[in-house]
Amino acid sequence: MFELPVTTIEGPELFVLEFGDIVNYFTVYTAVLFTFALLFTILVIISRPERQVDFAFGGDAFYTKDITPGQFRFQRFMALACGMATLGAMMSGDVFNFTLFTSMVGITNIGIVAAYRNRHVLNAAFQYGIVAMIATVPLFGSAAIILATTGTLSMWALFGPAIAVPLVAKIFLVLGVMGEGMAPFYVAKAEITRAPGAPYVLMIHVSSLLLFLRVVEIVISM
Amino acid sequence: MKRREGRGTWISRISRTISELENLAGLYAVLFIAVTVLGAFTLTSLIYHDDQLYPKTIDAADPLNPYQRGGTPFNTTDVQAQYPDNSPYLGYVTAYLTPVTRFIADHTPYMGTTIVAHPGGIIDEILYNTRGLDTVAETSILFVAFAIAAHLFRRDE
Repeated sequence: MFELPVTTIEGPELFVLEFGDIVNYFTVYTAVLFTFALLFTILVIISRPERQVDFAFGGDAFYTKDITPGQFRFQRFMALACGMATLGAMMSGDVFNFTLFTSMVGITNIGIVAAYRNRHVLNAAFQYGIVAMIATVPLFGSAAIILATTGTLSMWALFGPAIAVPLVAKIFLVLGVMGEGMAPFYVAKAEITRAPGAPYVLMIHVSSLLLFLRVVEIVISM
Repeated sequence: MKRREGRGTWISRISRTISELENLAGLYAVLFIAVTVLGAFTLTSLIYHDDQLYPKTIDAADPLNPYQRGGTPFNTTDVQAQYPDNSPYLGYVTAYLTPVTRFIADHTPYMGTTIVAHPGGIIDEILYNTRGLDTVAETSILFVAFAIAAHLFRRDE
């Protein structure tokens, strides 16, 4: 029943999962992204936090930081939630559903960052929070413009040649994902990676990169 | 005279500005405003599509105001859906009100505005049947936000 109109961009679909009007799907492309997200979610589940060592410059002295898994319970929980949201965004077949999962990735990213005690990191988390809040406007604005101008939200209909999605809606969607996934803002991400807490911090990078790959596919197909 | 790092060429000045963490929100806002201005110019080319999948009518006199979809409970009601094959029981649960909700709707004109404040207000076809995954995702976002707020509030205990 469900056939992707264009198979040159992401390959033929492999599996279709119907939730009423929201019809999720896997293509070759999104299945690869989904597998990556699943792999990193499993890594977050099974791994223990890294133990950092500080070396004193110019001598032999070093300090091992005392890090217990209990300290990172909340980060682990947020990283798991972030992985789940990424999984949802990878397989979503509906524009509004995709924006919802994107904003969930954004808020879990803030949760991962905000759980640190370092003043510098918390400052970065505050800036992120503001960016993610601004980003909800273009993100859901793009879904609203698409619904108003085309009358539908299903990607199966939008990907067809019959429906033209306005350019401004596409730009808004990319802009919203940029703000929520923080993909281009590596400037401030460096501040987070100084703090202890790998591999949970990695989930921020994985989720934003995967989201960006997915939104590029959606925008090109529309 | 010795030049300080990052004060040299114009490109290093730009690089210095965008690497400041405090400028992050402003930078994003400028980008957003630029796109919005661009969008405002193309506003005339955006045409409202008349054949909407999820139509909405406003009747201010109705107590269920923006959520009134008509129909009788536990009966077939004509509800639009993108893929009716995926929702075979489409229309069966539209218009059902729990007894409490029925009471509020009969005695006040503001039932539609309290819909989010109590469970089982209206089992809305559009929300819970054809677009159920959206409802799940929305509440998940809400719970994650609550979890973060609770953690930040109580982590010193």
